[in-house]
Amino acid sequence: MEAFSNADGPSGWEAPVRAKVVEAVRDAVDSLEVDAMGSLVARVGAAGGRRRGPHVMLCAHMDEVGFMVTAVEKDGRLRIRRVGGIDPRILMGQVFRIGTKGIRGVAGVLPAHLLSNNDMNKVVPIEELFLDIGAASRNEALQAVSLGDLVAFDTTYEAWGQVRKGKAFDDRVGCAVLASLVQKRPPVPVTAVWAVQEEVGLRGAAAAARRVSPDLAIVLEGTASGEAPGASDGEQQPRMGGGPTITIQDRSLMADARLVDLLTKTAKARKIPTQWKRPGVGGTDAGRIALSGAGVPAAVVSVACRYIHAPAAYLDIRDPRRVVELVWHTLEALGKEWA
Amino acid sequence: MTPKARRAPRANALDALLHSLVPAYGPPGRETGVRAALRGALRGMGPVSEDALGNLHLHREGRGPRLLLVAAMDAPGVIVTRLESNGTARIDLLGGRSAAELIGAVVVFPEGQRALVAFDRPSNNKDAGAPEVGSLYLVTGLDKNTAAKRFPVGSVGMAESRLDRLGDQWRSPSLDNRAGAAAVVAALKKSPRSAYDLHVVFAAQSELGSRGALTGAFGVDPELAIVVELAHVGDGKDQSSVTLGEGPCVGLKEHGYVAHPRGLDLARKAAKAARVPIQYLVRDEGSTDAGAVRRSGVGVPTVLIAIPARKTGGPDSLVHARDLERTVDLVARLLVTPPAPEPAPRKRAPRRGGAR
Amino acid sequence: MPRSNHKSARRSAQVEWSTEEWLRHLTALPGVAGHEDALVPEIEAAFRLFADKVERDKMGNVLGWIHGNGPSPRPRALLAAHLDRIGFLVSRIESGGFIRVVPVGGFDPRTLPGKEVVIHSKQPMVALFGTKPPHLQKKGEAEKVTPIEDLYLDTGYPEAVVKRRVPIGTLVMLRQPPVGLLKSRLAAPGMDNRSGVAVLVRTLQALRDRRPSWDVIAVGTVEEEDGQICLGARTSAEWLRPEIGIAIDVSHGDMPGTREGDTVPLGGGPSICMGANIHPGVFAGLRSSARALGFPFSVEVTPASSGTDAMDIQIASVGVATGVLGIPCRYMHTGVEVVAPSDVDHCAALLAHYLVGLEPEWRGTEVLK
Repeated sequence: MEAFSNADGPSGWEAPVRAKVVEAVRDAVDSLEVDAMGSLVARVGAAGGRRRGPHVMLCAHMDEVGFMVTAVEKDGRLRIRRVGGIDPRILMGQVFRIGTKGIRGVAGVLPAHLLSNNDMNKVVPIEELFLDIGAASRNEALQAVSLGDLVAFDTTYEAWGQVRKGKAFDDRVGCAVLASLVQKRPPVPVTAVWAVQEEVGLRGAAAAARRVSPDLAIVLEGTASGEAPGASDGEQQPRMGGGPTITIQDRSLMADARLVDLLTKTAKARKIPTQWKRPGVGGTDAGRIALSGAGVPAAVVSVACRYIHAPAAYLDIRDPRRVVELVWHTLEALGKEWA
Repeated sequence: MTPKARRAPRANALDALLHSLVPAYGPPGRETGVRAALRGALRGMGPVSEDALGNLHLHREGRGPRLLLVAAMDAPGVIVTRLESNGTARIDLLGGRSAAELIGAVVVFPEGQRALVAFDRPSNNKDAGAPEVGSLYLVTGLDKNTAAKRFPVGSVGMAESRLDRLGDQWRSPSLDNRAGAAAVVAALKKSPRSAYDLHVVFAAQSELGSRGALTGAFGVDPELAIVVELAHVGDGKDQSSVTLGEGPCVGLKEHGYVAHPRGLDLARKAAKAARVPIQYLVRDEGSTDAGAVRRSGVGVPTVLIAIPARKTGGPDSLVHARDLERTVDLVARLLVTPPAPEPAPRKRAPRRGGAR
Repeated sequence: MPRSNHKSARRSAQVEWSTEEWLRHLTALPGVAGHEDALVPEIEAAFRLFADKVERDKMGNVLGWIHGNGPSPRPRALLAAHLDRIGFLVSRIESGGFIRVVPVGGFDPRTLPGKEVVIHSKQPMVALFGTKPPHLQKKGEAEKVTPIEDLYLDTGYPEAVVKRRVPIGTLVMLRQPPVGLLKSRLAAPGMDNRSGVAVLVRTLQALRDRRPSWDVIAVGTVEEEDGQICLGARTSAEWLRPEIGIAIDVSHGDMPGTREGDTVPLGGGPSICMGANIHPGVFAGLRSSARALGFPFSVEVTPASSGTDAMDIQIASVGVATGVLGIPCRYMHTGVEVVAPSDVDHCAALLAHYLVGLEPEWRGTEVLK
């Protein structure tokens, strides 16, 4: 988790994350490939060499929301554009890491002293935000960074109690859960995909699903917790620490009803607490996978995190462990029950 | 769960089909009831199967090119997103309806649960803009605990679908696209033989962006496809010139779709042979499964047969009975109209009607 | 009957044509999504001058093949430029003979009032987008942009004639002959993306003499401008399953009021795009070809979406290694799209150099274990 979260990989430049995943799973898999988009595809035979059971695709995405350097001004400031959905209110005054060298830059804004009351209440739109890396001219800046360099939040992973803090838990927690499942040798034949470009339109999984052509798919995600002061009980769902979050429906997917049943039954049998993701919001790679080829039954199991798509998120470390356990035992049940 | 609809003036096979298909439970992704009703209606016509997304397939083997006939079978639905402490349930919409159209509708669930759609009424009439989805809720009439048991988060319902005849028109919330599905079944009955190796897909999850049609068409990989669906016309700033009762439409353009010249020629030929008057649908907004079918796989030449329909402001759609009967005639004739030979690459296709 | 513009320009394509002549020829051809009948034979004729094989697929894409000289089976490189222009279809005839239209592709409604169009009925007709003279306008009306659904076409003919001669669904295109500007720059509607098609023609011409080891398929794709996906690009990539797919399309040229980095200079050579929609290896290859040739070029940063055929090529089939080349173009989606022919030439030369230099064993995928 720590290694995955600290690696930087906004959509389109997931290579640093991919390297960490390869390091973690290389010895545990039968084959390992990078596809034409950059997704990592690993085949894992069933534990004990069993060949029974459906061919399952497990998928987590490596990319995170971030920015790309699109221009360098004459005075050395960097202009950036958004990659994925980010709230402009959380950017002012933040620190960022730029490019593979991890050059630091700050999103400076004019101090309150110099603003009219009116401007004080305005959010600076992303098109008007600049990163200051300390360069005094375009030439100076271009010695440190290049056009097209990716920009990520400058956040370091930390742990206290059951809490883990870090960036990009959407979906590095899924990447970690998937790596852990692969290391444990799943009970049915699995193709594990660490996909690219989820945050820019669920793109990497579309091509990967065609390559894998599975019988069914489970997507592992980091999803938004609903917890906030003042919210009603219903609105607080799902909660961090509340166990695996199961999707019935979101903007991209009607989860396969049989898979959802099997997940909930397995959870009950193993006494794993679960919760529902709030229907009607969000979308994941599962939506694309379900529509690939002639259709694939798909489901999503997530870890509820607070503050995803922001500089730093929280999760409860028991949740990803429970997701690993739930998915492993669901695969076991699938091997027996799925026709 | 639905009171028996008034008997239609002219009882025929099509009417019987409408009465069995229209009220059947089948919101997007939960098409259980309508699938069962269709299985019954298709008995004896050929092998029927169900695929990963819930589409129902019928294969009527034959000589000739592979033709795909598509009609969506789901109807707009609602899904429970959370329970409130007073026993009401917040919902989201599954499919193409505005929040306002559902207010006051009775919604039914698979185990017979019923609830009424209400909304957070603004205290002041001046604030009353178009209501948003977030303001909708279900009145269950139950206390919190019972409501949570009977309407758990994720429950999927659909507007109660009474089929009703008003003069020459049919009225029901799920005519889109049960009317299209009924027309396809009736056409299959009317033309038991065809000029094609015929695959019929009753598409699931159409309301959610033609998901079933996309994967269903990919699996069939046809040489030509016909999509039969309702097209709502006459709303707001309507740019089309379509009138209810003047015959089925042949789709020329809508969002994500333009007619394929070969399919278009075929539809015109069939309409002429069947003496069915046709209208042309050209619209900027709005879409049917036709766009998804034509972009599936390596691409499918597709033609849309759209049944003109009108929205009422409430959950109902209106369809003219004569349009529906003529759609059956047109589709039945299409099935026995052999395809034109592929035009030689260099020869320019003859211009007809100036529609290209 | 006034002479419609495309008629006068419709001469058969010539091997010795200059790029400017190609641009004049290609931009004069009509054809929006789904209405390519008049266009496709001309594109086929153009490809046939240089390609080993020309075919049309069932969705209407035109494919020009160059057979490589590498060992068989050869990997394939797909070059995509979309054929469709933006235009309109007749949707309704109002009383008085006024014609309502539905756009096919994204028009800027500000640029339409007063514009001349050609209605491609059996006997083509000229019409105008009608406007209200200032005398009859309400106060403040002139400051508001009229949306396309409120615009109408006027042929001047009475209603009965219009109804007889203009069926619903008839194609309507802007009527604007190509205009030569200084420094041999050209203004015409349809530079998006007929200038990309010109690049395909020029590239095929270059590859006829200097064979690549790969098979190269230049595809004039249908329906980039309309709908959620680039239909022709998606279906042709599904069909051909190429190893590499490169889209050639217009990029925004430098214009007053725009910021550096958002546009590329007109006459400054092709732009090589980078971003999530582009394979890093293809980008690097194109850039080193540009450097080797010593041509001017720019690097255009397109973070998430390139907005071209490459969006659909990349995720077609099991995934394709994509590249995107841009032709600088000012005033996109108006009747006066401006392009410099030299940019087209440099783009084609760059593309040919890259394709000829492709190693037979290069792959977009990588096997780690």
